[in-house]
Amino acid sequence: MSNSVALIGAAACPVGRLQSRPEDPIQVVEHEILTGLVLDAVADAGVTKEQIDALVLAQCRSGTVQKYFATFMADLLRLPMDGAVMEVLGNGMTGGLAFDQAVKEVRLGHAEVALALGINMESAMTAGEQSNETMRMTGDVDFHTPFGFTPISWYALDAMRYMHDFGATREQLASVAVKNRRHASLNPLAHFRKPITVEDVVAQRPIVEPLGLYDVPARDDGAVCLVVASEAVAKASGRPYARLRGRGFHHEGVHQISELPNDMTAFAAATRAGNAACEAAGIAMDDIDFAELYAPCTITEVLVSEALGFCDRGRGAAQAEAGETTLGGRIPICPSGGCLSRGHPPFVTPLYDTYECLEQLRGDAGKRQVKDAALALTCCELGNYNAALVQILEAVR
Amino acid sequence: MSNSLPSLEVARKRPWPPRITAFTEPFWQALSDSRLTTTRCTACELPTFPPKPYCPSCWSQNMRWIALSGHGRLYSRTVIHVVPADFAEEAPLHNGIVDLDEGLRAAARLIGDTPIPLDTAVEAVVLRYEDGPLFAFRLASAA
Repeated sequence: MSNSVALIGAAACPVGRLQSRPEDPIQVVEHEILTGLVLDAVADAGVTKEQIDALVLAQCRSGTVQKYFATFMADLLRLPMDGAVMEVLGNGMTGGLAFDQAVKEVRLGHAEVALALGINMESAMTAGEQSNETMRMTGDVDFHTPFGFTPISWYALDAMRYMHDFGATREQLASVAVKNRRHASLNPLAHFRKPITVEDVVAQRPIVEPLGLYDVPARDDGAVCLVVASEAVAKASGRPYARLRGRGFHHEGVHQISELPNDMTAFAAATRAGNAACEAAGIAMDDIDFAELYAPCTITEVLVSEALGFCDRGRGAAQAEAGETTLGGRIPICPSGGCLSRGHPPFVTPLYDTYECLEQLRGDAGKRQVKDAALALTCCELGNYNAALVQILEAVR
Repeated sequence: MSNSLPSLEVARKRPWPPRITAFTEPFWQALSDSRLTTTRCTACELPTFPPKPYCPSCWSQNMRWIALSGHGRLYSRTVIHVVPADFAEEAPLHNGIVDLDEGLRAAARLIGDTPIPLDTAVEAVVLRYEDGPLFAFRLASAA
């Protein structure tokens, strides 16, 4: 196909606590990290600076002092472009939209090579200060925020309902965290790599009941640059790459909870987006070799894996407990370690997920390599999975 | 009109007071008067919550105010231990999602000493803070 698009290179920094506090004598600034990653990613892709004609940035979080960061990056890189320079924002989907938009710039012929990149810094804020801001991102500021709902509290509400409806246990949910930690122990970019047990997870202090400390993400910093190109450029490079096979998106027209009662834990947007992506790719969900899912909490991974059709409704927690989603299992989920252990810098988490897909599809994932990985799926979301964006990538070696 | 909602006094200000608009002012005034209200579309008859000056379903702009019974069932609940800084005084936050008898879903504070089982009948109460009201839900009193 003439307008076929490929992911041909990437660079990312280890997820962790990078952000400096305002009073620190030596500051960590975003552009010093991200410009270095652009150079590394472009070298990895084997393309030249002159071929790049679009730059799509996942908008930075509020704590980033430099504003209008995309155009600032164009200046720092002395990168004139004929396609587009922009920042995108879509809550947890932000990084996914950056990649999606870069793909479109190439597919539309605006650019032969496009960058999708972002840096998310937030770890230096206290949880309370940060929640003061994020409580206004999930829900209605006048009818939900007065009660103090935080972003992860909505997943906790999912968990309580799911356990009630399907009899899932805390231990089964915990097995998702244990599995992700095991995967992360094999990932040099991961924030948390020390193995944990189900008992460890269940014993943690409650954060948003029924979820405890290890069921929810830490507050992380991170940065990624992906290089997207026409498949002609990818082929010319003579290197392995990942071809975009399918894409699906759905927003259910709901912000957090539907005012008309529905099955909140069905994650209908993920089902629709997943089906659309499979249809576009001409494959069945069973053909997928592994998935990198945007799943901030243990329950979220359970519900989105059900919604995408990796198991029957109500079996997601049992599926994790049975080892089916572990590396070597029936359908490995989050071989990177996912939000819970690789880490979760929210606005760039989907870029990390796509980065992991490229590593796996090129056969570069080392000890966490999914054997014969040929088809990968990513899914990112916003709200309480009120919207989902699914991408299917295929290995070309 | 429906019966008055029960009230509870709260001896502090609301951590995050809602903004009152020319449109939502009747909702907050009714809540001060111990009534829970919302809007219903005169074209397709679907109610909406929070109240809106238009119907999100059929996009009619002909809405009327209706009284809500305040009765419903608990769909889900949580206890938020790590709270926004503004809510430190109220921690931990017992919050829930309630499906109202009128076919609407709302989220709010839950009141009471013991966890309410899901699908149990609940009733709305008015929390009378020093600076204005909020709504909340508690286990329905035995009728």
